[in-house]
Amino acid sequence: MSNRPSSSQSSVGTGGLSHAYIQHPSLRCNVPESRGLFYDDANRLLICVTSDQVFSWETASFNPEVSPSADSISEGPILSVRFSLDKKVIAVQRSDSEIQFFHRETKKTLTHKCRAGSESLLGFFWSDSPLCDLAVVKTSGMDLFACDSAMNLRLVETKKVNVNWYIYTHESRLVLLASGLQCKTITGFQLSTAGVVRLPKFEMTLATTESNSKPIISAGDVHLITVYGRIYCLQVDREAMLLHTYRFYRDAVVQQGSLPIYSSKLSVSVVDNLLLVHQIDAKVVIIYDLFVDSRAPVSAPLPLLWRGYQGSDTSSQATNKENEGPEASTSNENIVMYEDAWTFLVPDLILDQTNKVLWRVHLDLEAISASSSDRTSLLELLQRRKLEANKAKQLCLGISRALILERRPATQVTQAIDVLVTAYSYSVKAGIYKELKNEKTTATTSTNGSSPDNERQRASGSSISEEEVEMDLPSGSADGQQESQLSSPAISPDELYKFVFASVEEMMIDESDYLVAIITEFLRSISAEKLKVDLNIYVMTLRLLAHSKRFAELSLFVTNKIIEPSKEVALQLLESGGQNLRVRKLGLDMLRQLSLHHEYISSLVQDGYYLEALRYAQKRKVTSVRSSLFLEAAFASNDMQHLAAILRVLSEMIPGFKETSEYYTFHGLLNETSSSVAV
Amino acid sequence: MASVISVGDESLRLCVFDLRRGQTEGQELDKILFFHPPELDVSTQLSVIGLSEGAIWRIDALRRVLKEVHSLFVMFHGSVRALLEKEPTGGLTRAQLYPFIADYLSTFQKRSRSEDCCCDLFVGKKLQLPNFRETTLSERGTVQMLTLARDTALEVQSLVQVLDSCAGNLRCHSMILFQDLLVSTTLSADDTVNLFTFTVMRLTSKALSSDASSWSYLRKGSGSSEVSSRSTSAPVGSVDSLHSGNGDNMLHVIRPLQHDKWKKGKDGFLVTDIWGLETGGSPDSAIPTVWLQQTQERVYLLAYQYKSLTLLLLLPTTAILNGDLSISAVKQQVIEQASLRIMKIEEKISRGWGGENAYHVKGYRYLVVDNDMEISRASPSGKVATLAKESLLALNKLREEVDLEKSRAQKKEKDLEICIRAKNNAWVIARVSRGKELYMALEKASDTLLDATDAVGRFSNRYCSGAFLMD
Repeated sequence: MSNRPSSSQSSVGTGGLSHAYIQHPSLRCNVPESRGLFYDDANRLLICVTSDQVFSWETASFNPEVSPSADSISEGPILSVRFSLDKKVIAVQRSDSEIQFFHRETKKTLTHKCRAGSESLLGFFWSDSPLCDLAVVKTSGMDLFACDSAMNLRLVETKKVNVNWYIYTHESRLVLLASGLQCKTITGFQLSTAGVVRLPKFEMTLATTESNSKPIISAGDVHLITVYGRIYCLQVDREAMLLHTYRFYRDAVVQQGSLPIYSSKLSVSVVDNLLLVHQIDAKVVIIYDLFVDSRAPVSAPLPLLWRGYQGSDTSSQATNKENEGPEASTSNENIVMYEDAWTFLVPDLILDQTNKVLWRVHLDLEAISASSSDRTSLLELLQRRKLEANKAKQLCLGISRALILERRPATQVTQAIDVLVTAYSYSVKAGIYKELKNEKTTATTSTNGSSPDNERQRASGSSISEEEVEMDLPSGSADGQQESQLSSPAISPDELYKFVFASVEEMMIDESDYLVAIITEFLRSISAEKLKVDLNIYVMTLRLLAHSKRFAELSLFVTNKIIEPSKEVALQLLESGGQNLRVRKLGLDMLRQLSLHHEYISSLVQDGYYLEALRYAQKRKVTSVRSSLFLEAAFASNDMQHLAAILRVLSEMIPGFKETSEYYTFHGLLNETSSSVAV
Repeated sequence: MASVISVGDESLRLCVFDLRRGQTEGQELDKILFFHPPELDVSTQLSVIGLSEGAIWRIDALRRVLKEVHSLFVMFHGSVRALLEKEPTGGLTRAQLYPFIADYLSTFQKRSRSEDCCCDLFVGKKLQLPNFRETTLSERGTVQMLTLARDTALEVQSLVQVLDSCAGNLRCHSMILFQDLLVSTTLSADDTVNLFTFTVMRLTSKALSSDASSWSYLRKGSGSSEVSSRSTSAPVGSVDSLHSGNGDNMLHVIRPLQHDKWKKGKDGFLVTDIWGLETGGSPDSAIPTVWLQQTQERVYLLAYQYKSLTLLLLLPTTAILNGDLSISAVKQQVIEQASLRIMKIEEKISRGWGGENAYHVKGYRYLVVDNDMEISRASPSGKVATLAKESLLALNKLREEVDLEKSRAQKKEKDLEICIRAKNNAWVIARVSRGKELYMALEKASDTLLDATDAVGRFSNRYCSGAFLMD
C-alpha cells in the first residue's frame, strides 16, 4: 500500500474516510404547500409544484441563493412537469391520457389527449431533433410531434411498439422502450440533432432461479449513463446479483461485462465520467472507471459522506452525518443517508424528497489517491479527470515527486512519467490543453460537427452519443468558486521539470545516478511524443552527471544531442569543465557551433588561447570582445612577440585603434620590456 | 620497461625487455621478457634491444601498436611491473607475455588473410612491407563511434540504465557496440579504448564469424597453432603444460587473445573456456576478468550479443566474491529486463545504418582524430585503398611532420595547418586544432591550393561542426 508522506486523510478517523460526498449547502425548495418535486433533466431545472404554481430552480450553477422563478398554471393533479427546451412552454402530465401545455408568455393553454381506453400515456419529453420537438410515449408506442411558436402540435411520426415502461435521458437523447412479459426486450431510439435513429432491438440478460423463473425488469432497474462520450445502459439482475453493462454503438448494442452488486436496491451516479454505484442497502458507494477494460473498482466500498462547509477541499473537514457537527445542526437538515425518499438524478444529483433538498455528489480525488496503491493506474485515472482538473493535476505532481523521493524503482517512475507525458501529448493533440477562453469555441465546433451524418462517415462502431454528449455535458463549471480555470489536468514537460525534477534536485543530489536515469526516461518519453522541454532540464542533467563524475556518459549525452545544445548548456559545460578539460572543450565546441562568438572568444582567452581567440575574432569579424582582453592575456603570459602580433592585428581589425589609450599603454609596455620587437 | 619492434631483412623482431634486469655480466638474457622470433640466436636477440626504429612505419604508429599490446596486457593481467614485483623470477610474466603477444600479433595475420586487406604485421614468419593504407588514414588506440539519431541515443541510454540496474544496487559499467563501432560506454576513455579494441578483435559478431570461417585454414596452416607450438620453445616451458595446470603450485597461464575461443551461447551470452571451464571448482572463476584503469578494480566481463549488437557488462569482482551477487542472476536479469530493448535497438540501428561506406564522403579520403575523446573516424578502408601510393606516401610523411610538431609543442596544444602537393598532384592536408586532428588526401590534380583549402573548410563545417577553422 501507499505510504504517502503527507495525507490529510491520515489525520481523520476511519469514520471520515470516503471517496464520495455530498456537501452543504444544498438546493432547498422551501416552498410552502409543496405538492411534489420534479427534475427536468433537459433544462436542468429543479421543479416544485403547488396546487396552481410551478417553481423552478436552475441547478447548473447550484447556487442556493438564487430564488426560483414562479409560473401559474391551472389547478389539477401533476404526474410530471417538463419545460420546453426554449423554456417558453411548461408541459404538465395530468393523467395517463392527458398532457397540458402552458405558454409562459402568451398564457395560452393547450390540452393534448390520447385515445382513452385503448392506450395509456406513460410520459413525454422535449427534443431538439430537427424532426420533432416533443415525444409522447404511450403503451402503444411513441408519437413524435412538431410544435410551433403558437403551440400547435402536429404529429410527424408514430413509432409503433408495445411499451411497458420507458427511460429517457436528455444527455444521451436516447429513449429505451421496454416490452415483453419480463420487460427485457428493448427498443431504442436516439432523437439527436441529426434526426431519429432506431437502434437495433436487444434483449437484456436475466438470470432465473427456481423461486423466480420469470423475473421482471422495472424501469428503476435500468440506468442510462454517459461517460467519456459513450452511452452505456446498466441493468440490475437481482437473481444473479449483477449489474450488466451494455454499450451502445450506432449499429450494435454490445454487452460489456457485469459488475457485482451487494444490495438489492441500487442506484447510480456519474461524476466526472466516473460511475458511482450506490449499494443502497449496504449504504456504500463503489466507484468504477469504465474507460479501462478492467471492471475492477477504482476504490474500496466506502460510505457516502455529508460535509458541512462549502469550500472545504480537504477531507479533514469532512463530517460524517453520524457525528452531527455544529454545521449540521445549523443547517436544520435531518439527513439520513440513502433513505427511501432519495431519488438519484442524471447524472450526479440526489433529490431528498423528505427534506425537499437537492444534493450534488462530489468525488474526493485526494481520498481516492490516498487509498490507491497502483500509482500508474492512479495517475491515468487522475489524468482523465476534468471536473477538478487543478486538483487532479496537483495530485499527479505530488505523486510523481513522492515516487522519486521514495526512491521507487526507476521502471516504476518511468511508467508514471510515461502516463503523464502521454496524457499531455494527447490533450495537446486533442486541443484540450488550451486557455479557457478557447474552450467555448471548441465546444461550438464540436456541436456543429456532431451530426450523425458526419458520424456515419466515421469508422463504424463509434459511440452514437459521442458528439451528443460533448454538446450537452455540464460545462464543468458547476463549482464555480472551487474550480480553477483549468480544463485539463495535463502536465506539460516544462511543468514536470519545474515542479517535479527541479524541486527534488537538491534533496536527491547524492543520488544523481538515480535522478539522471529518471530524467533520461523522461526525455525519451517526450522525444517519443515529439514534445519540447525547458532547456534547464539539460543544464540540470549536466550538473548531475558532472556531480557523479560520469564524464564518459556526459560526453555521449552531448555528442548524441540527448542534451540539446544551447547557450545555457554550453555555459554549464564550461563550468563543469573546471573538473574535466574534455567537458570544458565540449562547452567551447558548443559555443562555436551555436555561433556564440563573443562567449567563445572570451572562453578561449580565459583558457590561455588568446592567439586562437584573436584569429577567430579576425575571421568572424567579431569586435565585441574587449581588445584589452587579448592584450592582457598576452602580457600576462609574458610573451612579448605575441603581444606585438596582437597589437598589429588589432590595429588592422579596429579602425583608429592606434589612437586609443590602450594601444599606447601596451605599446609602451612592449617597448619598455623589449625594444627589439618591432611593431 | 621497453618494447621494440625491429624490421630488417624483411623479418619482424619484437621484443619486450626490462633494462633494470640482467645488470650483471652473463645475466643479460634476463632482460628479455619476450622476443620474436624465438628461434633467433641469443646474441642477435640482445643486439636488437635498444633499437626502436621502424623502417617504413611511422614511428608513432608503431608506438601505438606497442602501446596497444601493452594496454591490453595490463587490462587482462595487470601491470608487468606489478607482476614482476610479485614474482621476482619473472617466470609467470614470461609465460603470460609470450602467448599474449603472439596471440596479439596473429590477429594481424588472420585479419590480412580473412579480409584480404594488407595490414600485415607479419605473414608466416616474414614481415611483409607494412601497408600505409592501414596506418596512414587510421589511428590505433582510438575508438570509432556510431553516429546516433537523438531518439535512438535516448533508447540506448535507457538501455544502459537498465543494464546498470541488472546488478541490483551495484554500479556496474557497460559498453555497447554495433558491428565494430562504439554505441555507448560508461567507462573512462582509456578503459573504453582497451575494451573496444579487444571486443573488435575477438567478440563482435564479425570477429566471431571470421574466427569460425578461418578455423579450418588455421588448423591446416601456420596460424595460431603455430604460435602455440612456437611458444613451446619459450624459455620457461610449454604453454600447454602450463595451461593445463590447475593446481595452486602450477603457473596458471591465461591467453585472453587466443583465437576461436569465444562462442555465442544459447542465451545470447558469449562463452569461452580461456579462463577455465565453468564446471570445475567455483563457477565464477571461469568468468573472464579485466582490470579497469580508472577505478583500479578487477571486474567480471560479461558479453551479450544480439545480431550486430555486442554488449559488455562489467561487474566488480569483489561484490560477487562477497556473495552479494551471482553472475547467473545478473545474466537472468539482462535476459528478462534488457533483451527486448536490445532487440528493438538493434533493429532501429540496423534500419538506419548506411553500411560499410556509411562514413564515406565523396571525393575525400580523410581521418579525423579527437585526442580528447580518444575517438577517430576515417574513410572506409575500401575507399582508402583507391588512393595512389604517392598520395599515401605523402600523407604518411605529412603525419610524421605533424607528430614531430606535436612532440615539440609538448603539452600546449597548438593550431597547425600543413598542405602538401604530392608527386601525383594530389593535395595532402593536415589540420590540427586544439586536440583535434584532420588528415586528408584530395586527388583532384586540377585543384588550386585555394580550392583544396575550401574543400577542407567545407568538410570541417559539414562533418566536424567547424572544428577546423579556416584562416
